[in-house]
Amino acid sequence: MTDSRTELLQGTLEMLVLKTLALEPMHGWGIAHRIQSMSNDVFLVAQGSLYPALVRMKRRGWVKTSWRVTENHRRARYYELTAAGRAQLSAEQSAWNRASAAINDIMNVRTVPARWAIEGT
Amino acid sequence: MSILSDIVERVRSLVFRRSEERELAEELRFHIEMEEEYRRRTGTSHADAHRASVIALGGVERVKDDVRDARGTRWLEDGVGDVAFAARMLARARGFTAIAILTLAVGIGGTTAVFSAVDAVLLQPLPYSRPGQLVRLYQNSVRDPGARGFVTPVHYAAYRDRMTSFAAAASISTYSELGGDVLTPDGVERVRLLRVGADYLEVLRVFPAIGRGFERVDEDDASGAFRGRDEIERGAHVVLLSHSLWAERFASDPAAVGRTLSINGEPYVVRGVMPQGFIDPVVSGVDAWIPMSAAPGRDASNADNHYLGVIARLRPETSIARAQAELDALSDRLASEYPSAKTLRARLYPLKEDIVGGSSRALELMLGAAIVVLVLVCVNLANLLLVRGSEREREFALRAALGAERTRLVRQLFVESVVLAIAGDLAALIVARAAMSAIVILAGGAIPRLAHLSLEPRVLIFSLGVATLSAIGFGLLPALRAGRVDPNETLRGESRAGTSDVAHGRLRSTLVVAQVALAFVLLACSGMLIASVRHLGEIDLGVVPANVLAFELHLPDARYDSTARARAYEEVARRIEQLPGVRAAGGISKLPATGPYNQWGTTILSGPLANDPRHGGRGGVENRVVSGDYFRAVGIRLLRGRLFDAGDDAAAPGRVVVSKTFADEFYPGVDPIAQRLNTGGRDYAIIGVVSDVSLNAEGATDYYIYHAHTQYAGDRNWALSQVVATTGSPESIEAAVRGAIATLDPQLVFYHPAPLADVIGRGTAQRVFILRLLTSFAAIALGLSALGLFGVLSYGVKLRTREFGIRMALGAQAAAIRRMVLRQGLVVTAIGLVIGLAGAALASRFIASQLFHVKPLEPAVLLGAALVMAVVATAAAYLPAWRATTVDPRSALQ
Repeated sequence: MTDSRTELLQGTLEMLVLKTLALEPMHGWGIAHRIQSMSNDVFLVAQGSLYPALVRMKRRGWVKTSWRVTENHRRARYYELTAAGRAQLSAEQSAWNRASAAINDIMNVRTVPARWAIEGT
Repeated sequence: MSILSDIVERVRSLVFRRSEERELAEELRFHIEMEEEYRRRTGTSHADAHRASVIALGGVERVKDDVRDARGTRWLEDGVGDVAFAARMLARARGFTAIAILTLAVGIGGTTAVFSAVDAVLLQPLPYSRPGQLVRLYQNSVRDPGARGFVTPVHYAAYRDRMTSFAAAASISTYSELGGDVLTPDGVERVRLLRVGADYLEVLRVFPAIGRGFERVDEDDASGAFRGRDEIERGAHVVLLSHSLWAERFASDPAAVGRTLSINGEPYVVRGVMPQGFIDPVVSGVDAWIPMSAAPGRDASNADNHYLGVIARLRPETSIARAQAELDALSDRLASEYPSAKTLRARLYPLKEDIVGGSSRALELMLGAAIVVLVLVCVNLANLLLVRGSEREREFALRAALGAERTRLVRQLFVESVVLAIAGDLAALIVARAAMSAIVILAGGAIPRLAHLSLEPRVLIFSLGVATLSAIGFGLLPALRAGRVDPNETLRGESRAGTSDVAHGRLRSTLVVAQVALAFVLLACSGMLIASVRHLGEIDLGVVPANVLAFELHLPDARYDSTARARAYEEVARRIEQLPGVRAAGGISKLPATGPYNQWGTTILSGPLANDPRHGGRGGVENRVVSGDYFRAVGIRLLRGRLFDAGDDAAAPGRVVVSKTFADEFYPGVDPIAQRLNTGGRDYAIIGVVSDVSLNAEGATDYYIYHAHTQYAGDRNWALSQVVATTGSPESIEAAVRGAIATLDPQLVFYHPAPLADVIGRGTAQRVFILRLLTSFAAIALGLSALGLFGVLSYGVKLRTREFGIRMALGAQAAAIRRMVLRQGLVVTAIGLVIGLAGAALASRFIASQLFHVKPLEPAVLLGAALVMAVVATAAAYLPAWRATTVDPRSALQ
């Protein structure tokens, strides 16, 4: 494991799973690896926390499950986004966009804003 | 939407738990296989790939557990597990569980049954519309304002017509409860008749299911013929049937209204049928109601003739106090209108209080005793569970060391208690049913409103509440304690008698002290009642009831006029006396020691008190009418003069026999024979003096005047109670007596045969009922406290096995060790007895009204109770003491 890998941000796992499943239905192992590869191997999904998260999401009605045969002719449980899951994804997506933009703004500030400067003197 | 899917998912997880688990396992296996494959492809060795995959996942079982948590059914699964585990643990400790469930069943079952009884009798309102407006009216003399006396027809008519506070008022003939001989295809059958005023149903606001009720015109005999004093019992020949009599006689035919029923040989037209479940408030088990005549109320000479019961309904907005004020004013006016009744007053009582009044104390006592037993049960269970908790300390310590959470241990113990309580409650329901029928049988008519006792939903809820409360009560202590167990201490500590054990041993001893004290209170109370009942049994009632059969014999008016009745009762006695084994037979209008009956105004006409105003027109001399050889049959002795003979008939001048106290009191210093008096409005000469009899079961002596039925038959149909003295048991003669009556008239009903001792003992029935109940409770309490003592001492011995082993090894005598344990038990018992003594002093105040010739806290009774307690305690302590001496020093020290 290289140093460049990092743990997922708290609370983002479900959003990433939703995003992954929005592309196509997938089984648990596939989801984990898809997240990892989509983040260019930056994010390390704790595989153990994935399955409880999937159960919670199913309880909320965001995903539904079915047993299908993989391309390697194995039986696997596939997860698929429901309409509610899609709605949830877009809600989380816009919330994330707002939040990350704001965080970026803050992180990119290089000088003391004018207002602060005035009050500080 | 999401809440719905949440619930659906959770329920699905629960229902399909097995397949869920299987699918989860498969899913994780698939995951690991994929990961393995992936890792091998990226160059990891075959063996390492599997290990790495599992590690990457974070352990298969851990993920499974996390998924289970995520399903949100964890608490339920754990709960199910707890219940199953508790059931397994309880099943393993068979003895403990059996005792616990048994004590719970007895405690809860007993309380439930008693609560049902209290509820049925005291708490439930009378089953009539606005029952609070129903009152009973009694007359009393100015001198005795608390008395509840019968009402004269004259006053009754006045109250009914003039009281504006009454919405309706009606008379009831509880004074002379009537039987009616109903003609059926199979012969004659006796039913219970009640004569009531026309407005009776108006008062109760209950109306016939079919047909209609009585009307005022029914209070006058339709035939219009005047029949002298028979008029009292004459109304129109119409009848209201109870629902059950209607079903029985008319097969529930709605067309029964208007048809006739032969009662006492006379046709009665069915006026209506009462609704199913209607219960007469005053007399139990009434089969039919017939109208009471109002004619005597129009005769002013009846203003001192007391024989009516009266109930009334107050107007909706009228309080009982306001009605009483109006009644007082009316009584003053009536006193001036009827000089012969100028000292009469009347008082209203709420009907329910009047019906229940006398027995409320008995029921409160029952409830008190039941609650004491219930407390005992809870204490006992707490004790049992404490001991059990101590024994399982190691188990809990081990589980805690292996990572079980404390809250889970506490919860599990708590669940165990609840499972135990529920099992106990189920058993309790069975016990409650049995106890309720036992109460109904034990009460034997001594307590009103108890005949229809049933397990009600409210009672069931009460029972469940008690079970839950006891579960919390006794589950909390051991559970909390178990939660504090320190695994380190317990697992390391080999010696079991640590400081905590001493402290908890003290707690358990305190519980046993409480048990002993409570049991002693119940023992002392039942002891005092036993003494009371024994004193009552020793009272001389003035009769010799042994080997005497009593029964009722009614001669229907239709076939027996007064001359025929006079002849028939003498003939009945004569024929019975001819039966082998019969010593004497006779009849009387009211059996001795069964309470007051015909209290007639009596005036002394001769002797030193002839003109004494104190005795002029005094009421309250008991008058009785006798037939056959009554006096000899019940063992009343002739002291002076003679008894009645065939010559004392309707044609002869009035003659009476009086009791000794009457003669002594009213004819002091003179020979009572041939003295004259006036009673019931007629003049008589005294021909004999007989020994006194008691008015009631408690030995109260009263004045008696006896009349010969042969002379008095014309007055009314006396419906004499018959008595037969035999040489054998009363039951042995029954069939022969029945046969003798049948040869005389096959249509006569040989009614209610019973040993005289049982009939005249009825006044003590309520006391006997309380006694039996309290004694059973005391026995249960005694057993429970013995069990508690035994449990505590046994456990103490177990804890000290090592110590005893050392003592024995050092040469201690077995007897000394036995004494040590015994002493410990007796000290606990002694402390309990001292506290119980204070409790008994308190409790004796509550049962004082039920005591007879027994002082509350009578030393002999208390000593007896203490002795019983001590003997039982010693027995309970002996087994553990003996076990202490069987300790093998070698095995104890190993």
